[in-house]
Formats: sequence, structure tokens, C-alpha cells
Amino acid sequence: MKVLEVEGLTFSFQRGEEPILSDVSFSIKKGEIVGVLGQSGSGKSTLLRLISGLEIPWGGSISVAGKPVVNQRLFVQPEKRGIGMVFQDYALFPHMNVRDNILFGLNKMSRAERKNRLNEMLELVQMTDFAERFPHELSGGQQQRIALARALAPKPEVLLMDEPFSNLDADLKASIRSELRSILKAAGMTCMMVTHDRKDVEAICDRSFSLSEDSAVRKVHTQSL
Amino acid sequence: MKANLVRRYMQKELNGWWIISMVGAGIILLPILFVFLELFQAPNENWFQVRDYLLQTYLFNTVTLLILTGLFTAILGVTLAWLTTAYQFPLSKFFRWGLMLPLAIPPYIAAYTYRTMFSYTGVVQTTLRNEFGVQVDPEVISVSSLRGAVFIFTLFLFPYVYLITKAFLENQSSSYIETARLLGRKPFDVFLKIVLPLSRPAVVGGVALVVFEVLSDYGVTSYFGIHTITTAIFQTWFGMYDVDTAMRLAAWLMVILVGLVLVERLLRQRQRYHLSSKSKPLTPIKLRGVKAVAALSYCALVFGLGFAIPLVQLLAWAGLTFEKVWDLSFFTLLKQTISVAAVSSALIIVLAVVVANISRSKNVFSYFLSKIITAGYSIPGAIIAIGVLAVFIELDGKLAPVYASLGCGEAPLILSMSLFMLIVGYTIRFMATGFNAIEVGFEKVGTKYLEAARMLGNGRTRAFFKVDLPLIKGALLSGFILTFVEITKELPLVLLLRPFNFETLATKAFQYAKDEMIHEAAIPSLMIIAISSLSVVLFYFIEKRVKQ
Repeated sequence: MKVLEVEGLTFSFQRGEEPILSDVSFSIKKGEIVGVLGQSGSGKSTLLRLISGLEIPWGGSISVAGKPVVNQRLFVQPEKRGIGMVFQDYALFPHMNVRDNILFGLNKMSRAERKNRLNEMLELVQMTDFAERFPHELSGGQQQRIALARALAPKPEVLLMDEPFSNLDADLKASIRSELRSILKAAGMTCMMVTHDRKDVEAICDRSFSLSEDSAVRKVHTQSL
Repeated sequence: MKANLVRRYMQKELNGWWIISMVGAGIILLPILFVFLELFQAPNENWFQVRDYLLQTYLFNTVTLLILTGLFTAILGVTLAWLTTAYQFPLSKFFRWGLMLPLAIPPYIAAYTYRTMFSYTGVVQTTLRNEFGVQVDPEVISVSSLRGAVFIFTLFLFPYVYLITKAFLENQSSSYIETARLLGRKPFDVFLKIVLPLSRPAVVGGVALVVFEVLSDYGVTSYFGIHTITTAIFQTWFGMYDVDTAMRLAAWLMVILVGLVLVERLLRQRQRYHLSSKSKPLTPIKLRGVKAVAALSYCALVFGLGFAIPLVQLLAWAGLTFEKVWDLSFFTLLKQTISVAAVSSALIIVLAVVVANISRSKNVFSYFLSKIITAGYSIPGAIIAIGVLAVFIELDGKLAPVYASLGCGEAPLILSMSLFMLIVGYTIRFMATGFNAIEVGFEKVGTKYLEAARMLGNGRTRAFFKVDLPLIKGALLSGFILTFVEITKELPLVLLLRPFNFETLATKAFQYAKDEMIHEAAIPSLMIIAISSLSVVLFYFIEKRVKQ
């Protein structure tokens, strides 16, 4: 079953400018972890922002779990799309501790459910002892795990990750890469991550595609790993 | 295709936040449009009289005041900013923020303080007479003149230029200045060839603020008996009860204003502040001997004339009248002043937050919205007052049948006699003060937390209350304090729009002064100065925190 379907997506920041994405199409099946490769400026992050609903495409359509979220006549607000996102700099709310950060997306659940889900998530990322800490009291790797737990907690259909390793030290990267894959697989999560580093993709993803650097034709080149 | 894109934009952006903002913008724009429309109406007889016999004098006085004050505040502001940032001398640390203090004394208070000090029975002439036996020609020493007004405006408004130029010099200029020094240029050369041209946008920005204040002034000019367009608006209104002519004068003032804004753009050209975080602050050079004494005396002279002397004089007068003025009615006055300022500031902050929040998604609409919402700052209080009054009278006319059905009699003036009118006036005039503070707060926080909150299934509104609001608390508070202070100091707007018999500290102080009860005016004036000092203190702490 296709969880994310993108058809003919086109976007440019300003009218008359050359599109940063033109006619991009691909789909992702349930449970897949897919990498998107591309140089900086190739429109990787923009692609994520379009899927999540933070920008409006000029053309094309996107469906999540079979339901259209944007097309020529329709725009669904980001909070209604069932998409989770881990931001490049994590964007953990600085005025809330770890627990409140994770609980933030669970406001529609009952109190007992919320508590269960919180503990489940803290265990998944092995941060049970850190629930009372504030973001600035955590290391970069710990912050990333909390950001991941926070995004996974509301059980999104798809998880989007924007350069998940760019803020980490080189020696941390290797251990966190394999850890991330096992967390995602344990949660059965469908995930799409963008990165400029081929090693990230090789360590984590089931398959990948790249946004070609030739801006005139942004064809998608798919490759299985 | 285009229609579809617009439709999807509406789906993305249209919500309660937008609707509130549009209503707010409408309320702000309506009175200003009313004034402009007057230009296209057929004028009445009064207008021809005003135009043929008076307008020339009004224009001449207004323009002379603007040019001279602009020039002198620029000289004072730039030289003081340069001295206190580039050099170290005795008390230089104190003067760095002490020179902001003249801003805490509204010019109209300074005007009657100085006029009384220089009058026949004032401290200056009596001292000269009694101690030194010197008789002075009253013509020479009188402050009640165009010259005196320029003196007052310069001394009490120069901190606008000083503040903006100082901030620029401190943070932006070090590499250029140090390069020039290393290339062997003398300090005066550096000032002339590097500092002045570089700080031009900052100086123009500061002088623009001064010019807007002078255009807006009613207190100083009317007290000194100088006829300007603003005082003429008051005269045609209160003297002739001719709102149409007052509005036409206001429209002409508006035309001058648009001209001035264009001049400002031209002077700034493409020069903008280049905010680079890399630049390091300028290291001050230590002055010794005569130079140190000269720098100290210059700063002390300006500080003394612009703050210490009038303050001491007011304190002395307050001592004389304390028992007479400090009674129950004074507390009523204080309560009225504080409550109307607090309600207006709260209204401004709420609207400012709503508009600033939607302005975070940058597009053409939000750009224009933020420009409209802040338009009132550059428009003199008298113009806004006239526009608001015209709108409210019109509203009362439209609502007359409703009033009649409620049994309020034939065509009563209900809205246009209420405090609500004054609050609307304040909101239009000082929206920009609150809005700018909050916009800075939002810029510091950025959009990432908002986006993260939305990706976690929260709508714009919940995301705002849970995430953004706690993060911009500080900006909210400083926005509130700054608007509160501006409102407390304000004079022309409140004189024109207050309900019958409604007094604030500002109107009371001005009334005492007009009635030649100068000593009685001291206590309400000191109260205003105390409240105004709050914003200076706030500036000081914000600057301190930024440095850390």
C-alpha cells in the first residue's frame, strides 16, 4: 500500500523564477525508509515543506494514506495531514521539559493513554531518565532522540526527517545511524529523510532517489540499496 | 490556474487571525481616509480666510521649526553619540545612558519650566538682578519665541538621533573606523570622512523621528504663541467650531508629511543598516587632560540643560505646592491616567500580536497589512484626532435611529462623547510602538517552533498560545511599557478627543501651565517624568542584556 504519493510537484519561490522543483513524482510504500539525496539548494528541504503543508506547490498533487492533501483545488492544513517531522535543528520547545515536549502532540488522547504513550516513546529512544530535563540540558544526540520521540508519539502516517545528522559530531554519527534505523523499524514507521550524505542513506534507508542537479529537468533517479 | 492558487492560499492562510487583523486595519485606515477625502470636498468661507491670511505664516513657522530643529538635533545627537562611543572620559559610562533621559521630559513640560525660569520673577533674572545687579532686556532673554521653541525641541528630542546613531556606531562601524585610524588619519578626520557618511542612514532615521514629533506638537508651540498648522487645527476647531476647515488643514499637514517621508527615502537612498553579527564593538580611546575636560563639560552641559536643571526646578516648585495639589482629586487624576493608558496599551498589544503573528508568513498582503497598521506613528496626533472625531460623528448620525429607539432622545452624540473615542485615537497613534516591539520578539523566536507545533497536530491558535506566547512574553511586556509611556506623555490627541471634564496628568499639567499656575503644574509633570523614565530604564536593561 502506498502511504505517500507525489505527482508532478512543481514549486518556485517567486513568480517567473526558474522552478526549484519541477514535475517531481514518486511514491513510498508502508514501512519503507526512503532517502532523498541532493546537493544544498537542490530543493530537498522544500520538498519536505511541501509534503508537510508549510508551503503551497504551484502544481501537482500529494496524497497521504490514500487521501489527497493538496492538489489544484484543495489545501489541507499541516496539522490535519497526519505527517510527523524531525527538523534539522530539532526545534524542541525551549520552555518545556522533555516530557511536555513529547506530550505536546498528544492533546487529543485521554490522560491514561497519554501517559502510556509517553513512557513507550521514552523507552523506544532509551531516554526514560531524562523526562524532567530541559532541551538545553541535553547533548546534541539526546536532543535528536527526543525530537524523534516527539514526532513519533502522535503515530503519524509518514515521518519526514530533514538532515537528521547535520548537527551531530562525526564520531556520534555512526552509532546513531544504526540506532535510528532500529528505532524506526521497531516502530514500523514509514519514513522519508533528506540528506546530502550518501553514507546516511546507505546506513539507514531501504532505497533512495536523488533530485538531479540539472535544474531544467528534475527527474527522479531511483536506486535500491 | 491562478484562481486555483489563490483559492489554495486562502485555504492555507485565511482564518480568524486574518479577519481580526483586517478589521483592525480598517479601523486604523478609516479616520486617515476621512481626512484625505476632505481635500476633495468644497471648502467653506472660513477656509478661504485661513488660506488667504494665515496659511503662509503657519507654513513658514512649521517649516522653519522643522528645519532648525532637525539640523540642531542632528548636530547634538551625532557629536554626543560619537564622543560617548569612541572615547572614554570621566563619567562617560554614566552619560552613555544618562543622555537618553531628556526624552523622559515631554517638551511641553520643558517649555513652561524654562519659560518661567527665564521670566522676570524666574530664577535666572532674579539671580542676575539680586546677586549681580544686572538688568536684562526681556526681549533678549525671553524663551517665548520661535528661537525658544527650537531650543526646547532640540534639547528634549535630540536623544532620538543620539540613540539610533549610537547603536549604529557601537555595533557596525568598528572595522571601518579602526582601518581609518591605522591608515594614520587624525580623529577629527575620521569623524568627518568616515563616521558622518557611514552613519547617515541612522542620523536620517533619528531626525525623521524628531521631525514627526515636532509636526505633532501642540504643547510647546501653543504655549509660546507660535502659529503652526497643528495649532491652527486646534484654533479652527475650538475657536470656530469648524471641523471641516480643521480637517482641511490636517489634510495639508498630511501632504507635508508625505513630502517629508519621500525626502527621507531619498536621503537614505539605498543605504541600509548592514547588520552583520560578526562585527565587534568599537573599543573606546581614553582621553586625557584638556580633551577629557572638554568632553566632560560638553556632555554635562547638555545633560544639565536637558534633564537635571528642569528636574531640580520642578522638584523645587513641587515642594511649594505639595500640600495644595497632593489630595484626593490628584489620586482620581492618577487613576484616570493610568487606567486609560493601560486599557489602550492592552488593546494595542492584543491587536499588535494578532497582526504580527500573521505577518510572519511573508507575503504581499501581510506586508501591506503591517504598513497600514503602523501608519499612525508618523501622523500627528491632531490629524488622527480630527479623523477619529469625524468618523465618530458620522457613526453617531448613522446610529441616531437606534439611540432614539432606546429612548436617548433626538440625535444625541453618544459615541463621540465617550472615552471610547480617545482609546481608538490612542490605538491608531501608538499601534506602531507596540507592533515593532512584538515583531522583534517574533523575529527572535523565528517560525521553527510554530512549524514544529503544527506538525504535531496543533492549529495556528493553539500553537500560538502554547508555544509562541510563552516565548515572546518579554517582548509583550516591553511593548506594553513603551506604549503606556507614550500614551501617558501624549498631549494633542487627548486634548482633542477626551470626554468633557475628563482629565489626565498631561491635560492637567498643561491646563495649570496655561492658567499661569506653573508651580501647581510641577507635581503632575514630575509624575509624567517618573513614568516616562520607565522606558529609558527599560532601554538600559535591554541594552545590557544584549551585550551579555
